[in-house]
Amino acid sequence: MTWQRETFKKIKQIPREEHVLPGTALCAGCGGLEALRLAAKVLGGDVVYVNAAGCFTMLAAYPFTPFKGSWLYTTMGSAPAGAQGVRDALDVLIAKGRLPKEEDLKVVVLGGDGSTYDIALSSTSGAITRKLDFYYFCYDNEAYGNTGMQLSPATPYGARTTTSPCSLQHPAGTTQEKKDIFEIWRAHKPPYIATVAPRYPLDLEEKFARASKFTGPKLFLALSACPTGWLYDPGETPEVAKLAVETGLWPLKEAIDGQVTHTYIPKRKPVEEYLKLQGRFRHLFEPIRQDEAIRHIQARVDDYWKQVNG
Amino acid sequence: MRAVRFHGRGGQGAKTASRILGTAAFLEGFVAQDSPIYGAERRGAPVAAFTRIAKDPIRERGVIVHPDLVVIADASLVQDPAARVLDGIDERTAVFVNTSLTAEQCQAQTSLPGRLTTLDLTDIALQQFGKRGAISALLGAVAGRLAGLHRESMSGAIARELADLGLAVPVIEHNQTIALQCYDAVRTVPLETGAAQPAASAQLQVPSYEPPTRGTARISAAANSILRETGGWRTFRPVLVPDKCNGCWLCFAYCPDGVISMTKDDRPVIDYAHCKGCQICVHECPTEALVAEREQEGAVAWKAK
Amino acid sequence: MEGEMMTGNLAAAWGARLVDVDYVPAFPITPQTEIVEALAKWCESGAMAARFVTMDSEHSMMTAAGAAAATGARVFTATSSQGLLYALEVLYSVSGWRAPLVLVNVSRALAAPITLEPDHNDVLAARDCGFLQIHAETCQEVLDSILMAYRIAEDERVMLPVIVNLDGFYLSFTREPVIMPDPEQVKRFLPPFRPAHLGFKASSPHALGVAVLSGTPYSYFRHQMHLAAINALDVHREAAAAFEQLFGRRYDVVEGYRLDDAEDVLVMTNAFASKGKVAVDVARAEGKRVGLLRLRMIRPWPADAIRHALQGRRAVAVLDQNLSPGQGGILFQEVAACLYHEALRPRALCSFIGGLGGKNLSEGELRAIFEQTAEAGVQGKGIGPVLLYTEAEHREMVQLQVLAGGLKS
Repeated sequence: MTWQRETFKKIKQIPREEHVLPGTALCAGCGGLEALRLAAKVLGGDVVYVNAAGCFTMLAAYPFTPFKGSWLYTTMGSAPAGAQGVRDALDVLIAKGRLPKEEDLKVVVLGGDGSTYDIALSSTSGAITRKLDFYYFCYDNEAYGNTGMQLSPATPYGARTTTSPCSLQHPAGTTQEKKDIFEIWRAHKPPYIATVAPRYPLDLEEKFARASKFTGPKLFLALSACPTGWLYDPGETPEVAKLAVETGLWPLKEAIDGQVTHTYIPKRKPVEEYLKLQGRFRHLFEPIRQDEAIRHIQARVDDYWKQVNG
Repeated sequence: MRAVRFHGRGGQGAKTASRILGTAAFLEGFVAQDSPIYGAERRGAPVAAFTRIAKDPIRERGVIVHPDLVVIADASLVQDPAARVLDGIDERTAVFVNTSLTAEQCQAQTSLPGRLTTLDLTDIALQQFGKRGAISALLGAVAGRLAGLHRESMSGAIARELADLGLAVPVIEHNQTIALQCYDAVRTVPLETGAAQPAASAQLQVPSYEPPTRGTARISAAANSILRETGGWRTFRPVLVPDKCNGCWLCFAYCPDGVISMTKDDRPVIDYAHCKGCQICVHECPTEALVAEREQEGAVAWKAK
Repeated sequence: MEGEMMTGNLAAAWGARLVDVDYVPAFPITPQTEIVEALAKWCESGAMAARFVTMDSEHSMMTAAGAAAATGARVFTATSSQGLLYALEVLYSVSGWRAPLVLVNVSRALAAPITLEPDHNDVLAARDCGFLQIHAETCQEVLDSILMAYRIAEDERVMLPVIVNLDGFYLSFTREPVIMPDPEQVKRFLPPFRPAHLGFKASSPHALGVAVLSGTPYSYFRHQMHLAAINALDVHREAAAAFEQLFGRRYDVVEGYRLDDAEDVLVMTNAFASKGKVAVDVARAEGKRVGLLRLRMIRPWPADAIRHALQGRRAVAVLDQNLSPGQGGILFQEVAACLYHEALRPRALCSFIGGLGGKNLSEGELRAIFEQTAEAGVQGKGIGPVLLYTEAEHREMVQLQVLAGGLKS
């Protein structure tokens, strides 16, 4: 079954209005901000962002905010619980007539991968189980970026981070496999889950438009290519994101009530093309090529798509 | 004691330069101390680092308020109030600026009060390394020369500090060579280490209670980040070649910061006050209608409000 | 006897019901659970017009509570011990947002070793977080303090959250008569919650809890919380007067018991203060001029009231039901500090540690306190920290150690 976009068919349908304005302290070429900006175009201005500690904490830094909507910074481990409090309070205040219905807001959690995959997992699991009506936007740059790129459970096999350095014992970087947060979410049976990559803006916009039809937890996992941490030139952010998708390493997909659809089927370039672009994988190619590790990464992707294609 | 303050943009290597200087002084038998300002620096955002060099134990800590030497890695920082480059500089302060301008031109343009010396490290780095990136070794070498440290100690310090960053031996050696060329090329200026004036007693003004609308860390002005200009982060600016533009919207779609808007007839308009110069639009433009041009310091591309 | 028999926990739940809260995020923990069980039942039955949500941890519970208050809802929640410490990070956030909710803490000693019975190391671990703290002695006071807490918290001069503390077991599961305030009178006492600086809505977006990234704004905002907390002393006085007028019961930041001509004064908090009062009566009957000062408000620290009550005494003893290892009693330090500048400061300050992990406070121990304090006053030299631990308890402990060691004696 081929996935069809219904709302966003042409690039010129991307809304012109910006809801996250310039002037933020985020790195030049930030893939996470690229994804958030596109998401916000569909989410609109009537939003309260509930933020977990991470790079995005720098978005609203006194006395400046880039948002037309509202913002609440919570903690690293409990942004979904913050979303629960805001959503419940809005509902109660509207029900009691203390807040007009037209003042209602969408509640959107912003969390990095460190928060999303580990420290806030209990809080997220609780919110999904309680069927909280909210969006969860994870900007996944595969490491603790705000503290300078330490290993997170989202760090993929073979990547070098400041806490998974290469050594004689581990010449290929980390041997951990990236945690499959998509499947962990899916096991909770929320109405909508999607992965997105900002290099595929129509796919991203379409998914936010589709998600808006569902009440309950709506979860987005956004590939956030990171020039600062992945060690490539900031101008290459879309190229890196594109290769993540085209090699099959970052599948674009959605799950509606648990039913998974891949929204884009890549021709699957060799993973090497993606790895070679980034300093965090340079040790796989020099001074000694780590064939075993590269084969391992390729084999994992092959297995994944074999299971997708049946 | 010699107090050296480095100003740079995140990613330029100001912190490493301060360490190279500290290590070089240490290798020469001085007491040294170096520290960066640690905050939420991002690539391109103003950062500062400090090195103190003395014969006796150093009892000061943290920010250098009255520097003897200021090393400025990026000329645009002088105009950026957030960088606070001018703090504590007077006519006796030695100031190095990485710029293509001569010291006289630079002084005329920036009205920096100190004793200026300049060298175009960015150009040297572009020519020698073939890409933009960190110039920590070059900055460190220049600072070492101006602070009166020896060539050999600079070379040794560069080797130590770059190895610490995990750079490969050939890269380090290349850096050493180029850095020592900069060491030799920079025009020295006299460095004075005057006795610090004793501080006057601070005029304390203890705040009184204000209603929580003002007395709480909240922002009620919506989307006011637009007041904060990030155009000075650029070393390269994207420039539109109108004839080549096919109006495809890709630059608008991919810009992370949302600084490109499209006109009614589908032409991109770039907000240079905020464009951070990531070059995504240049990379992704299918018709090469956007090209990267190095920021010219003569024509200041960006000014603080 | 007026009122109805109820536990401290039920009195706490009634406090939340009477102030007509909008939202109760909850998480169970002994000995607090009965509070949220009662509230869950009332929310479900419609007796309360509030939304009740069982959260996934105290950390999440406190975040939801603060976020709801920041959205403009009146919020109540409750916890205890380990739960309070698990939520501690969030307490600092909620007070920083200046979100004026009320949190009931049912005191229970902290692990390790884990136990269920009370002492005050839990609630005092939260003393620096920007929450105000009111510590109650009776079930009636638990209920009344919650009503007062909302009025103080929601005042524009304060806008800080409040912890109302009661002792596990000694109040939480203890029934005694409680007079139920009239709901209409409560409405007159407590105006509707309409904070100017809070509330998320489409027409007026704002960002709350934003990063500041430098010491200048951080110092400013943190100091504002201090000023707000200090303002709470005046606001408490006004609230106490209004409360007395409407309900006939009076609560001040400290309570003096038979202080008038007392030479020696024992300083206490919470439920054991009742036992302290009995010991004062016994000593008075024997002709000893002793009195008791109960600290009701711990944050803001009522320094003036404490100085006023303790100046000119011969000796003062502070009984701490907590222990800061390597230092001693936490409240002793604070009492001592605020007396330093008094020209007529007591000749001796004595520090006693008792009731750790809910260990009983016996008449004999209280008598020993008065004797040692009087002696210290005569000598002009303070003592302590002295752990209240009897010979009998020592023997019991040795027996337990023998068993734990495998009967090898």
